[in-house]
Amino acid sequence: MELPQPNTEIVAHGADIITALRALVPDGVVGDPSGLAAFDGDALTAYRQKPLACVLPRNKEQVSAVLEFSAAHNIPIVPRGAGTSLSGGALPRADGILLSLTRMNRIVEIDLANRCVVAEPGVTNLAITRAVEHAGFYYAPDPSSQIACTIGGNVAENSGGLHCLKYGLTTNNLLGVELILPGGAQVRLGGKAAQACGLDLLGVVAGSEGLLGVVVEATLRLLPRPPVTRTLLAAFGAVPDAGQCVADIIAAGLVPAAMEFMDRRCVAAVEAYSAPGYPSEAEGVLIIDADGLKAEVDDAIARIGAIARRNGADVREATDENDRARLWAGRKAAFPAMGRLAPDMLCMDGTIPRRALPQVLARMSEMADEYRLGFCNVFHAGDGNLHPLIIFDVMKNDELARAEAFGADILRLCVEVGGVLTGEHGVGLEKRDLMPTMFSEADLAQQQRLKCAFDGGGLLNPGKVFPILSACVEQGHMHVRSGRLPFANLPRF
Amino acid sequence: MAEHVVAIEADVVEAVRAAQSARAPFEIVAGRSKRNLGRAVRPGDVLDVSRVSGIVSYEPEELILTARPGTPIVEIAAALSAKGQRLGFDPPDWGPLLGAPAGSGTIGGAIGADACGPGRVRYGAVRDQLLGFRGVNGFGDAFKAGGKVVKNVTGFDIPKLVCGAFGTLGVLTEVTLRVFPKPSRSQTIVVRHLTPAAAFALLRKVWASPLEATGLACTADNTFIRLDGEKEPLAEKIALLRSLCSGLAMEQRDDDEAVFRGIADGAAFVTALHDVWRVALAPSSAAVVVEKSGAPLWAGDWAGGLVWLATNDHQRLRAIVREAGGHAMLMRADAETRTSVDVFETEEPVRAQLTRAVKAAFDPFGLFNPGRMWDGV
Repeated sequence: MELPQPNTEIVAHGADIITALRALVPDGVVGDPSGLAAFDGDALTAYRQKPLACVLPRNKEQVSAVLEFSAAHNIPIVPRGAGTSLSGGALPRADGILLSLTRMNRIVEIDLANRCVVAEPGVTNLAITRAVEHAGFYYAPDPSSQIACTIGGNVAENSGGLHCLKYGLTTNNLLGVELILPGGAQVRLGGKAAQACGLDLLGVVAGSEGLLGVVVEATLRLLPRPPVTRTLLAAFGAVPDAGQCVADIIAAGLVPAAMEFMDRRCVAAVEAYSAPGYPSEAEGVLIIDADGLKAEVDDAIARIGAIARRNGADVREATDENDRARLWAGRKAAFPAMGRLAPDMLCMDGTIPRRALPQVLARMSEMADEYRLGFCNVFHAGDGNLHPLIIFDVMKNDELARAEAFGADILRLCVEVGGVLTGEHGVGLEKRDLMPTMFSEADLAQQQRLKCAFDGGGLLNPGKVFPILSACVEQGHMHVRSGRLPFANLPRF
Repeated sequence: MAEHVVAIEADVVEAVRAAQSARAPFEIVAGRSKRNLGRAVRPGDVLDVSRVSGIVSYEPEELILTARPGTPIVEIAAALSAKGQRLGFDPPDWGPLLGAPAGSGTIGGAIGADACGPGRVRYGAVRDQLLGFRGVNGFGDAFKAGGKVVKNVTGFDIPKLVCGAFGTLGVLTEVTLRVFPKPSRSQTIVVRHLTPAAAFALLRKVWASPLEATGLACTADNTFIRLDGEKEPLAEKIALLRSLCSGLAMEQRDDDEAVFRGIADGAAFVTALHDVWRVALAPSSAAVVVEKSGAPLWAGDWAGGLVWLATNDHQRLRAIVREAGGHAMLMRADAETRTSVDVFETEEPVRAQLTRAVKAAFDPFGLFNPGRMWDGV
């Protein structure tokens, strides 16, 4: 993918823009090239671009002032949390302001009576749980980057994690936000009441990838911590058996807290890396958690174990809390374990109907041969969310291009079998050009009209999510049906 | 158009395009159980989608069901029940409350009204379970949004937006829902004669525990807690509940689904002489709102996140609810009242402008259920 041609007029005024921003956010503007190097990308590491300036506001008023300034001068804004996006959602633009929310990192209120926390966007995901665990509560969405990723970024990406099947994504655990709109106006959507009033704008802000507004406060639902968790490791001699096991567990009415699949390649890489004790001869393993009250978990584990054995698995249970941690550490080390095998890695993120698993895994192996690239599969089996990890070396002639083409083919395959392009990482830059494989022109036009209702000037995170930016006419009221015009002054990237 | 019956998506496209040319807005109906819900605005023309009906696909192993919006809830519930599954949001039947026959509601209507019953407290709302849809927008274009898998963040989450939009954004033609396993056993525990403050405090205590109650409701006389599970796990839950309720007299019943259904349906309010309200709140303010309202008839659900009240003192109720940080919806009143006062909370100016911009993004000519939510929406 090519990075944008910057708007030279904006870039030419860089020094003036930085001066103006310093007046709005004193002590919170980075404008020198060496300082900006720290902000030149996110976890889609193949792409790097320094922003024109990075602004680090400390409060809502400053965010509002920056958005007002951006609108007055037509300067694009890219919001950013911790920069852990795997889809390039926080990749800056050379002609844009990077708005980093990490200094807004206070927990505003802990309201245990209403099982919620009100937090600023720069609070990390894990910090929410840390703040309430003394009282027996936790915040359920747990993306793997939870030690670093921020709540603002979680809302923007609608982040998931290992426990989505039972506990939902961010959107299902988000009660309200305070949002700054392009131009600087502030609006509150939702709150501590469970049911929203009026149109569910909160629902579209969650997962909008920074295209609709900037979240300056979020109200999050807490869950009571289940007292007991038990973990099974099931090793299968054939991948279809693992797929059938997952289907049988779901069909039996069981909802495991987590159900993770790793293929043979992944198991081998993880064993070589941290030796968690997975059976290396297996074609695939499932790690399954059941949580809840004791009798409930005992019952679930007994039934899950029986189903796995019926599907030919070699099943063992974690013997104690240390062993449990060890089994999970292996799964969580899939990334670094694969990362050790090559300098670069792409982590894909399609979702498929569970039944298509064997077919999709077989086809991916063929593709890997065709593209001559190493890869492995980790898979949130419970909800059908695949994470193929493709390894390559960006310094070797065409390996980046081949890796991207391989990844794109995997996602097309996901759509072909009835799935979707992204389950939890977002479209961002990475999957932007694949949107038409899943959505028709009419589908995309409707999404873009919604974008226009929030951001008529197209200033928030332009170039992400949508392959073609169409002009908003009359604040999004009218759609230019024929001859949709790309923004004249907004280079596509 | 006057009254136009459609059967397939292409018919809907044709009808919307014709309405667009004639600038003739219309009301969207199917089961007609919720026609008296929302502001009383009748554009004259009616689009009847009751024949856009039937289950398109149901895959129990994927926990996913796709149906056309005119499919009766009872039909969907029966198909799911046959496979030991259910709709997680427990759709209520508001027909009798709103002057329509019982059992006439459709899945499209439940989505449009984001109508949730007791299970919401455990499984979430309609908006948490609508994974994707097809529909026709005000340009007369058929489009889809979302997907047919449980985990999806591809593009804007427009399915959330059509839940509770009261048909003001488009005409649905197909919906895909996540469904849930049906518990093998349920027990209802009843505690009698608590004050509102004590009743809601008890419900919140259970809500904050790992019991995963699937019903947490109360009336002036009784507090109801529903627990699900297999035999031994359920026994464990009940024992734990007893320790949470120490000192209170508990009565235990086999699944008393009728009690929870009655509360969700507003059954006690069918014969109420006053206007009926549904108030969404932070659970800890439920008791205060009930007490301050002085309402002769009330009921609580979702551990206090929802309160039903009967009162004609609109201004007083709105003020109490505003002070508590909640919002009230006028659930039942005569047509004149539902024209003269806001049925939904009045939105502050920035929010109101955003609502209208979003409405225009889907329905720029104001064809769909015009004025149903607010003037111009």
